[in-house]
Amino acid sequence: MRSTRRNERVAAGVLAAAAVAVIGFVAIKGLPPRPDGPRYMGAGAEAPVRGGTFVFHHESSVRGMDPHISFDELSNMAIRLVFDGLLDYDEDANLVPSLAEAMPEVTEDGTVFTFRLRPGVRFHDGHVLVAEDVRWSLERMLHHDTGSPGYPFFKAIVGAERYHAGEADHVEGIEVLDEHTVRFRLTEPDQTFLNAMAMTFAYPVRRDLYERWGDDVGKHPVGTGPFRFVSWERGVQLVFERHDDYFRPGLPYADRMVFLENLKRHLAVMRFANGDLDAVHRFSPADYLIMKGSQAWAPYRVEEPAVTIWGFGMNTEIAPFDDVHVRRAVAFAIDREGWDRARAGRLAPTGQPLPPQLMGYDPELPNRQFLDLERAREEMRLAGYPVRQNPDGTYTAEGFPDEIVFWTGEGETSRFYGELAQHDLSKIGINLRVRQVAFAVWLQQTGKRGTAQSLLTGWNMDFPDPANFLDILWHTRSIAEEDSNNRTFYSNPELDALLDRARAETDRERRREMYRQASDIVAHDAPWAFIFCDTKMEMWQPYVRNYRPHPVWSEDYRNVWLDLPRRRVASLYLGAGRPSRMAALFPFGGL
Amino acid sequence: MAEYVLKRIGWALFVVVVVLTAVFFLMFGIGDPAKATLGPNAGPEAVADFERKHGLDEPIFDQYLSYLGIIACVREASPEWDDDPDRRGHCGILQGDFAESFGHNDSVISTIGHRLPRTLLLGAVALSFEMLFGICLGVLAAIRRNTWFDTGFMGAAFLGISLPTFVTGPLFLLYVAFNLGWFPVGGYGMSFWDHVYHALLPGFTLAIVGAATYARIMRSEMVETMQMDYIRTAKAKGLDGFRVVVKHGVRNALLPIVTLMGLSLAFLVSGAIITEYIFAWPGMGSLALESISNLDVFTVMGVVFIFSVTVQTGNLLADIAVARLDPRVRLGAETSH
Repeated sequence: MRSTRRNERVAAGVLAAAAVAVIGFVAIKGLPPRPDGPRYMGAGAEAPVRGGTFVFHHESSVRGMDPHISFDELSNMAIRLVFDGLLDYDEDANLVPSLAEAMPEVTEDGTVFTFRLRPGVRFHDGHVLVAEDVRWSLERMLHHDTGSPGYPFFKAIVGAERYHAGEADHVEGIEVLDEHTVRFRLTEPDQTFLNAMAMTFAYPVRRDLYERWGDDVGKHPVGTGPFRFVSWERGVQLVFERHDDYFRPGLPYADRMVFLENLKRHLAVMRFANGDLDAVHRFSPADYLIMKGSQAWAPYRVEEPAVTIWGFGMNTEIAPFDDVHVRRAVAFAIDREGWDRARAGRLAPTGQPLPPQLMGYDPELPNRQFLDLERAREEMRLAGYPVRQNPDGTYTAEGFPDEIVFWTGEGETSRFYGELAQHDLSKIGINLRVRQVAFAVWLQQTGKRGTAQSLLTGWNMDFPDPANFLDILWHTRSIAEEDSNNRTFYSNPELDALLDRARAETDRERRREMYRQASDIVAHDAPWAFIFCDTKMEMWQPYVRNYRPHPVWSEDYRNVWLDLPRRRVASLYLGAGRPSRMAALFPFGGL
Repeated sequence: MAEYVLKRIGWALFVVVVVLTAVFFLMFGIGDPAKATLGPNAGPEAVADFERKHGLDEPIFDQYLSYLGIIACVREASPEWDDDPDRRGHCGILQGDFAESFGHNDSVISTIGHRLPRTLLLGAVALSFEMLFGICLGVLAAIRRNTWFDTGFMGAAFLGISLPTFVTGPLFLLYVAFNLGWFPVGGYGMSFWDHVYHALLPGFTLAIVGAATYARIMRSEMVETMQMDYIRTAKAKGLDGFRVVVKHGVRNALLPIVTLMGLSLAFLVSGAIITEYIFAWPGMGSLALESISNLDVFTVMGVVFIFSVTVQTGNLLADIAVARLDPRVRLGAETSH
């Protein structure tokens, strides 16, 4: 009996090993490879057709549909389906009229803006948009109790600050002249006011709806946008349907929009490859390389620089970065092209404060930053820290602090950038210690005066104007004891005066030159070593037409049309065809 | 029994309060929730307005006591707020108010109310798989002990216990959902039965460790039970094997499993966090992850409250169930805990 049981155990062991081997073989060799290209193509229509459901996603939850409160990229994707603004941006990031009949009349001194609304624009419930809706909306957004993050962008309106402080019943500078005309008076000329009026904070809403729903108004949005809100399963999806009375004739094309929430990128790319998602805009590193390398997807893929700027920030109030020579040394020591190579070409290297899309950017900016180790070492010498090379090939900056603390936010990418900075600065004898913290901690600590010595920092635009970068990041008035947006605490009266004049300048070419000069000053003084702008890759299905990434709005799908019915592609796989017996294993989703 | 239950409930409440207190101060110690919510582009005025609205500009202990409902409300966003301090009400958890979710512009109760049923569904599917596979395989292995069946399945159980969810989940997703197309690639679905269909793969993933544990324990208990005198007597009386095993054997061997089920609740709840993330299941686990990373303090507090109450409840139910099933067990003075 004993030998029988031993034989059974041996047999069991052999069977188990064989089972593992079979499973492993099937897993590696037997399953079909992932499809290399689109699973579906369009019907082949040349002109836009109406109909269909467009399905898109984001990785997190929509915060709400109240345009005065919800301001994040994700919520804006939904808000812009339901609401419109007086102004909008075209594909070249130029301001264009939307609910306004034309661009506003502006007085010569640049302080009074008069908008005339398009007549007959209807909300989704049939009410007609009138100027009083615009006035009420702005006041509601500016009200103290609303707590809208948009308030600072509209402070220049006469009476806005008093109203926000609760010292007035209305905003004196917003006037309704007639049913379709509204006027705004500013305390001083501000060319960014039109950009502010194009933000979602300024989208008109209706008073009666807010009075009816109160704080729940964000769950019952009614706007003038191309789609009306249908349903929201919280954390899962939002559904929108075409607004048949939309003021732009013929638009929108799609019947429905379905916005999937909380769909992480690794799942989204799988679903997209399966044809279950119509567009995708976030990729894991592995998926990015696979999808970028796919020739079949090339016509339905675009990668463009985003309007962002990233850099090595240096606190100008904390030694040794209170010395401009040390800051310039860092600026000349960063190998921007090397960072781009390390990130597999996902960066757009730069050496100046403004992204290329904005006025004031000059590829030949005199003081633009670039890699020049000799110059970097010379700057260190001028700062009193001569750099010498050690016998082992490393570098030492004599008299320089033993280490510099470099604050980064969470995530492996931030950590990686920290290591790249360590590597680059070691060549001028600077020993960097990377301090990685949660993003919330990074925000709090780097915005507090006298705390962060240096930091990995970046900026994403609120609107496409150089003032949104230069004023916020390097103007003296952006400095605060806590929550300072000017995280390098850089202060230059000459720059401040130039930026103030540029903000008020009405002549576009003069304004452009002012920002170019301002950009040159910042590049020279180097409160940041400017390193790169983000690039962003987006992809869409072949049957999704009329989509190109918008320079201002993330994933703006309002005007897409679907070339339906979509056709299944006959053969997708590289190499030999799939064995026919495998077809029986694919009841769903397989060929 | 009643006295025991009351004591356990009191102890559970104490544990919940300690947990909530620890998490509250930990969350506020990590960073600034206002800045984390509003993002890096927000200026000082926007941050100040936000803090005022949610009472974040008040002293931390006042915020804590207001959150519990012990002192008057400090949050302007609450209906209990009044500009006159003498007319302010209480807006804490003692009054059933769990404050507002920063990330969802909604009350925490409403936010959790949408997510909790989904996690319960996932948990129910996972528990069903655990019971089904765990008990059946354990019983079969016991009946066929020391055969290839026993060795093979206990070996597989050992493997199941060893493989973490963050390994099995992506593998199932990739091969079973994406490549084979047998299940949806993550998500939640549209109708109830679609939800159930979407829950099968993540539920199975979540159940693997529990099922493997149940199988091993069930086998061990069954082996011991089947050697009892009353089993021999039942066989001698001519009862068929199925009745002997199921009616007499399994029922008695289930006692440890019942206890384990209560403890499983804790694992299911914590394991759901990872599983829900992998499968994009929009439940409490993904809400917890999202809220923690965004410093959505009050939502985190609400989630922690639900989790800790669930664990305490599971433990208590397990103890009560054992007492009901085993007449030898008397809860209270004779029971050591």
